[in-house]
Amino acid sequence: MSARGERGLASSGGPTAIARRAQLTPEELHQVKWMLGGVLTLLAVWTVFYMDVTAWSLLLATTLTTLAALVWPRLPARVPALAHTLAFPVIVAFFAGDLWLTSEVLPALVRLGMWLLMYRGISYRQRRDDLQVIVLGLFLIVVAGVLTVSLLFAVQILIYTGCALGFLLVITLTDSLEGGQKPRPHKAGDMPNWAAHADWVRLFRRLREVADWRVVTLGGVLVAAVLGLSAGLFLALPRFQWENSLFLDRYVAKKARSGFSDSIKFGDVSEIIQDTSVALSVDVSDRSQVPMAPYWRMVVLDEYRDGSFRFSAGLKREALGKDRTDTALRGEAHPRRGEAVYWTFYLESGVSRYLPLLGEFEQVQFREPQNFQYAAELNVVALRNEPVSMTAYRVESMDTSGILRDPAFARRWQERDPAVAPRMVMQRRVGVGDSDRTRLEQIVAEIAMGGPGLAADEFTRRTEEWLRKNHAYSLSPRVPGGGGDPLVRWLFSHEPGHCELFAGAFVLLARTAGFPARLVTGFRGGTWNGFSNNFTIRNSDAHAWAEIFDESTGAWVRGDALGVAAAAETSEAQREAAWVRRMDRSWSARFDSLRVFWYRRIVNFDQRSQVEALRAVKMATQNSGKRLREAVEQLGADLKTWLSAPWDGVRVIKSGAVVALVGGMTWWWIAVGRGLVRGRRLWRGGRRSDPVRLLAGRWLGEIAGYRSASGESRELQELVGALQRVRFGPRETWPEPVGLFRRARRVLREVRRQRRAEG
Amino acid sequence: MSDFLQAGQITEATQALERLRANMRVTIKGKDEVVEHVLVCLVAGGHLLIEDLPGVGKTTLAYSLARSMDCVFSRVQFTSDLLPSDVTGVAIYDETIKEFVFKKGPVFANVVLADEINRATPKTQSALLEVMDRAKVTVDGQAHAVGSPFMVFATQNPVDYEGTFPLPESQMDRFLMRLQMGYPQAVDELEILRTQRGGYDAIALNPVVTRGEVVKLQAFAHGVFVEDSVLDYILKIVTATRTESEFRAGVSVRGGLALRTAAQARALVKGRDFVLPEDVAELVTAVLAHRLGLVRQTSDALEERRAVGAVLKRIVAAIPLPA
Repeated sequence: MSARGERGLASSGGPTAIARRAQLTPEELHQVKWMLGGVLTLLAVWTVFYMDVTAWSLLLATTLTTLAALVWPRLPARVPALAHTLAFPVIVAFFAGDLWLTSEVLPALVRLGMWLLMYRGISYRQRRDDLQVIVLGLFLIVVAGVLTVSLLFAVQILIYTGCALGFLLVITLTDSLEGGQKPRPHKAGDMPNWAAHADWVRLFRRLREVADWRVVTLGGVLVAAVLGLSAGLFLALPRFQWENSLFLDRYVAKKARSGFSDSIKFGDVSEIIQDTSVALSVDVSDRSQVPMAPYWRMVVLDEYRDGSFRFSAGLKREALGKDRTDTALRGEAHPRRGEAVYWTFYLESGVSRYLPLLGEFEQVQFREPQNFQYAAELNVVALRNEPVSMTAYRVESMDTSGILRDPAFARRWQERDPAVAPRMVMQRRVGVGDSDRTRLEQIVAEIAMGGPGLAADEFTRRTEEWLRKNHAYSLSPRVPGGGGDPLVRWLFSHEPGHCELFAGAFVLLARTAGFPARLVTGFRGGTWNGFSNNFTIRNSDAHAWAEIFDESTGAWVRGDALGVAAAAETSEAQREAAWVRRMDRSWSARFDSLRVFWYRRIVNFDQRSQVEALRAVKMATQNSGKRLREAVEQLGADLKTWLSAPWDGVRVIKSGAVVALVGGMTWWWIAVGRGLVRGRRLWRGGRRSDPVRLLAGRWLGEIAGYRSASGESRELQELVGALQRVRFGPRETWPEPVGLFRRARRVLREVRRQRRAEG
Repeated sequence: MSDFLQAGQITEATQALERLRANMRVTIKGKDEVVEHVLVCLVAGGHLLIEDLPGVGKTTLAYSLARSMDCVFSRVQFTSDLLPSDVTGVAIYDETIKEFVFKKGPVFANVVLADEINRATPKTQSALLEVMDRAKVTVDGQAHAVGSPFMVFATQNPVDYEGTFPLPESQMDRFLMRLQMGYPQAVDELEILRTQRGGYDAIALNPVVTRGEVVKLQAFAHGVFVEDSVLDYILKIVTATRTESEFRAGVSVRGGLALRTAAQARALVKGRDFVLPEDVAELVTAVLAHRLGLVRQTSDALEERRAVGAVLKRIVAAIPLPA
């Protein structure tokens, strides 16, 4: 695409204008510029989707006004002059008020950027304003960029970059057309010429006209180069996590609907279940290590009070260690024999600051230094802040048995004084009133069936059974009204309940029976993505269950009345069947797999994956070269065999037919086909132009680039005259075309050589 | 068009036109483009409307052309009280033969200079325009042919509109071209200041081309070859003016024909027997601009001329030349 202004038109007289090509007029360029500016504005303001900034109404207003101005470029002329006068004072006042009311700098800045973009979108822009649009857009894009690691965002920024480059090109073109002079500023209500007769349909038709294969190829090559360069940098450069080093506050990142925290009210987990978005993706180096029903533990809630469980301050103090900043965390599990199994977790933002884990581990490794706390006894790792973007960590040799050894607790349990009331850290306090406790004791007696001193595993089995027998599972539970503890009320009813009620009831019963017990929240299950070969856990897999202390083994055992009995699926065939059930090959899995591919690319714990990628590229290149060489050699050998075979009549006829066919096709191409392709525009119009004339036109186009107004050789002038005659003159007066074209080739070669010599 | 021109005919035409051009340059300094357009108009057999401010050489241009040719030249100064018969002629009763005899008016010449045409009443203007179209005058049912070649050279001042009768668009259509003279370059004006003597009668040029040669030139122009893609190009331009929302109405079929004829003439003036697309592109403004009017009202005539010119340039730039 190139532009030609008045000057270009004035100088187009005379011989230099022979091969003038279709070009956009300055007014059409202005229209293109307007369009690109609008698109950039929209792309920039839509980054708010990635941020947790309250700007939805502003986003809607900006989108609508920009779209309207984009579709009807005459619209800005109707904006009253008063609006232009007041615009900046109002925006500044808004910003100041915003800052004062919310006292959050970054969201206020984001909103200011959107206001300014909206204003720029509905007023005719000068060069300065166009650049302002790019800068403001870039601000929003960068802010959103460092806050998110999303594939969708990568696509958006790629489009933004392309549009911004195109926009700058058009600005440069229009600028050069105006001769670098400062254009007259638009008065409010004044409509520039281009807007007065802007017509999108006509513009697109014109764009199609002026786009030729050179422009398209150049554009394609540029895009490929940008993509290639990005990919190269992507493979070669080490990764950084910017958010820890930049000033950007965490509050502007987008959060999920809800997340796991230190306390839980009944219904919290069920609310998370409504959200079917991906919460966690897990890559595992050995698929067979994934248990049939994996329980991804996150938070341990030990204190029950007023109908809700929470992570008690006492246990926190005791179990959670000091704040640490490190890239790795060594766990309690001892290294096992054989090859270590690596679990790579990609935890989406907004899920929790507690990291999901299956059990004890040997080591957790982060991508970059993290601030975290580790409760070895509880096997809980808590980041200091809720991560604002996807968090990746790799766990080595994780115990998947579901049994959590706790020697420290076992020791304390052994040494306890039964006379002293249970302390919080002993995780035995029931936390209900006396009357409720009496009722709980009734149920415990019923479960124990009079037998004293049940072992923990037997108690667990019986309690699970009892709960399943008396209550059905439902996501919309009914807790009967009345006084006392709601959980006890539910236990005594036959109403259905959700996982939290089951788990909470289990904990209360276990504690009443004298077992230390606690509630654990996290995820259960998940699906195996058949495209990216990883485990996908959605928010809808959120679950709550109980853990009860088994004195005989000194470990915590899982109690889940809603769980599938592990023993039920132990045989190999059943395991396989379960795998098939779990396998997800749906369309949503396809999209999720893209996300995982993206994560795998951007996350690396060492340089291994990059080396592998580079090696794979090298191998692919070598292999294809080798295959090509083999194919050529094979072809040569075949030809040799064919030639050395005896010749008979049939063979000669067959060969002759093939040669004739190829020759015929070649002739057709030269005589007709080429002309059809070149002259397709005229042909479309119902008329076919003479191929000889078209060829002459092509030569004229070639020569036009080498013609100069001053000092042109006589030979060149004559040649141009003759070519013009063949192109536009009466056929009867043509010189012999083949000789002429040969001469054109020779002359052009000479001119090129001469130009090169002149430098 | 199989009756293409012979090489000898081209040479003959080129020589005659070169003589004309050189002769006109003696009086008209530094206006090569205008002189070329005048020659194109002459060769195409069209009439010319020259618009510009007073005193930039409109009349001098007409004089220099007329006196370079061996032709009958007449000048009519248009005023508001000029009657049609003052232009075309009148039938007078001749006592001696007892009959009405037609007394020819000033249009019975080869080059007629209609100075300040917009000062005459529409009736008088119509009389002239009829002659321009048909090349004959009909009085009392009897047709009288005017000279051959016949070229009207009208001038008007677009700024001073006080007491004038602007030509309606339908009548503007009869002029092949409308030209502006423009101020000369400083160098040329200095030359004019140095050499020019007052009064048109001082323009004493020797005829360098005969009447027959001019007629022949006009015949040659009709023989200039126009290739299909060039016709297609003309059609695209004409169609574009019809779909352009800024214009009240597009160019008429006569306008399209005029563009083709003018392009043929330009090719001949340039010494070619075939039309190049740039012949068309170069003449678009001169041939089409005066046939078009804007939808929106403009403050004055000059502003409208400029706006129409800009839109035409945009249209030309937007349509690709046949490659």
